[in-house]
Amino acid sequence: MAHKQTNNHKQKRFRITSDDRWGYAFIFFAMVIFLVFTIYPVISAIKTSFLDYKPFGSEYVGWENYADTFHNKLFFKAVKNTVIYTAIVVPATIAITFTLSVMMMAFSKKIQTVFKGIYYLPGIASGVALSVVWLWLYDSSPSGLFNEIMTFLHIPTQNWLNSSKTAMGSLIFMAMVSSHGTNIIIYIAALLGIDKSNFEAAEIDGANFLQKIRYIVIPLVKSTTLFLFITGIINSFQVFMNAYMMTGGGPDNNTTMIGLLIFNNAFTRSEFGLACAQAIIMAIIIAAISFVQFKVMGEDIEY
Amino acid sequence: MKKRILALALASVMVFALTACGNSDSNNAADPTSAPAATEAAGSADATAAPTDAATDTSTAAEDVITVMVPPVTSTYLDKMAVYAEQFHEMYPNLTLEITATSWDDHTEKLNTTALAGQAPDIAEVSYASIGTYVEMGVGINIADYMSADRLADYDQNALDYMTLEGVTYGLPLYITIQSIGANKEMLTAAGVDVASVQQNGWTYDEFLTAISNGTTDDCYGFVFASSAATAADYLNIFGISAGLTNPFTSELKYAYTSENMLNLLTAISDMANSGYTPNYGVDASQRMVMCETGNAMIFGKAMPLFEGNITKNNAAIAAADGTAVEGSINVEYAFLPIPTMDGVTESCYGSVDGLVALRNNDTTDEHLANVMLALDFLCSGDRAAATDAELYLDSVCESGREAMSAYVVEDRDAANLAAAAREISLVVAPPTGITAEMSSDASTLMSEVIAPKFQALLAGECTAQEMYDTICSEAFNVFGEENCETGFIAQ
Repeated sequence: MAHKQTNNHKQKRFRITSDDRWGYAFIFFAMVIFLVFTIYPVISAIKTSFLDYKPFGSEYVGWENYADTFHNKLFFKAVKNTVIYTAIVVPATIAITFTLSVMMMAFSKKIQTVFKGIYYLPGIASGVALSVVWLWLYDSSPSGLFNEIMTFLHIPTQNWLNSSKTAMGSLIFMAMVSSHGTNIIIYIAALLGIDKSNFEAAEIDGANFLQKIRYIVIPLVKSTTLFLFITGIINSFQVFMNAYMMTGGGPDNNTTMIGLLIFNNAFTRSEFGLACAQAIIMAIIIAAISFVQFKVMGEDIEY
Repeated sequence: MKKRILALALASVMVFALTACGNSDSNNAADPTSAPAATEAAGSADATAAPTDAATDTSTAAEDVITVMVPPVTSTYLDKMAVYAEQFHEMYPNLTLEITATSWDDHTEKLNTTALAGQAPDIAEVSYASIGTYVEMGVGINIADYMSADRLADYDQNALDYMTLEGVTYGLPLYITIQSIGANKEMLTAAGVDVASVQQNGWTYDEFLTAISNGTTDDCYGFVFASSAATAADYLNIFGISAGLTNPFTSELKYAYTSENMLNLLTAISDMANSGYTPNYGVDASQRMVMCETGNAMIFGKAMPLFEGNITKNNAAIAAADGTAVEGSINVEYAFLPIPTMDGVTESCYGSVDGLVALRNNDTTDEHLANVMLALDFLCSGDRAAATDAELYLDSVCESGREAMSAYVVEDRDAANLAAAAREISLVVAPPTGITAEMSSDASTLMSEVIAPKFQALLAGECTAQEMYDTICSEAFNVFGEENCETGFIAQ
């Protein structure tokens, strides 16, 4: 009897139902695209990282590209720059978007939609166009907008993007005040999902606004915060356009991020193998950070 | 069931539509009339014949498409390329030129990317200094293998030498350009400079320093050189002439940017920035001439003879008051000037050769290359060369171009500027022979990874000339070896 039950259980486990077939049919095209445009390039990048790549006759060089990377001072400088940028931009951006989202919750749905639209607007503009505007704001000549404000306030004008003292700060400020739209929409969705009875109970207990935020809102949107942290760090580690458009990595490579270094190695110096090795190392760093984040922040999260 | 089938169909359409968005070239690739027919190109034109004589030989030859990637070498170059393509097709009915127009900003990246993918255009515009990159990549082609000595003899040997690495010629020159500095003549005269004498005899760095000191006011810098991002390399290459640095390598093939001359150059630039004679911030390439046109700069660089035309046009726009003049610009009389020389340095001028090179791609065959050489020769010689050189205010670098040049006499050129340009051309020092592709590539990497980024810090006053020099020496010794770096003074 017991033997028969086990067989039935096995048959049930491995039987492909009609619904399963439909499921596989639905994901088939997406899987093909995923394999061709995501998995294949990753495998190809891993393969290329072991080559002295040339369009006609690449040479296998073993771990040389990885060794060159670890002997390259500029790579470590780029890692340091990227970590500094990420460590400031990601938490600051999340704090700002959380604050804005909480402030928006006080309004009616219509007003919320207007604000969401306003904050999302920069997201649909071309990054290059936004960079051009920021270049004008940061123009180091006395006619630059920020420098005109400095002059008005009787403060010496700054060499915003060409001085080691201000270049990284300028990029960080630009990232912090731009592109909150997506995060706000995600946060507001999370805030709307909090049961109102929690707030009613807190009010009966005499909790003030900050206590409600501290003891109700923050814990209940923790899974959203974790998601935004992880995606924010991944995006920040891959930051490229800000440095490319605004500073070109200078001055003295103080704003050269890993993404820009990989781009320069691949498309300016034509060192595809080295660029692929650095890209693989960056992927490992990002994966390791994401793993640690899940372990540290994700333990008490219920999905 | 019907709903599921409908949903599946919609999902498929959506997925295919999304992927199709990023793949607009696939139709072209499948089109036999636009794909390079290199493998079928048998019995093509005689590559050794002059471009104007070979048309009759090709009437029965197979169809072939030759791809060309060029930036706007002159303001009308891309428009003219379409005309040249038609003319070439008329001469060789079986051959079609397919032109890919790029901008100066993205030309190198596009070319590198396609070359690395094995999809390089058959012909591309490059500066001579970049040839090493493509040779290292393995896509350079020895054009002498496919062109007759007769046709190569049409080109000036000194210009061909620029397109040659380790004895192999990879392309044909379009022009030798001289890059120096230019100025507002009136302001320069007011600063106490005898402009005519400087144009005729050159000047010392001390005279230049006095001039920019006199020319600097609250609203005007005495000297502005484009220095932001990649233009920092131009600053060092072109103004480096003042310190006797005519090439990254000496005639003994030692790396030159570790020499005392480099320290002298960096010290001079640092002093100018600290004194306020030149901006201590990165000036965009597009700003430097505008600053001269608006009276915010007396001397600017880099400058070329052709800028006389730009400034003359702006003056005309100011007079016409039609709103096309640079905002806030004033009437400027342009003076093309030599680079000043420091003590112990022989005067010279920075010269560069731009031209077209033939590149290898996945479809390259010997038969196809024979056709490519016909196109290469056609585009670099005769009327095409003359039209380009005339627009750039330059002399032609091939015999057929000089012959055709008579039709392109440029009126109203300032005689003093014309003479100054001719004098500067005679002062250009050709690059030393024997520089390998690897040396060229390493020097380029040092410039982009170490020297240019550090240069911005020098201008901003964040490092001293000595500190920057020490960094360059340290990095260069690692790359080339100390014994291959010049550390003394390069005397000429």
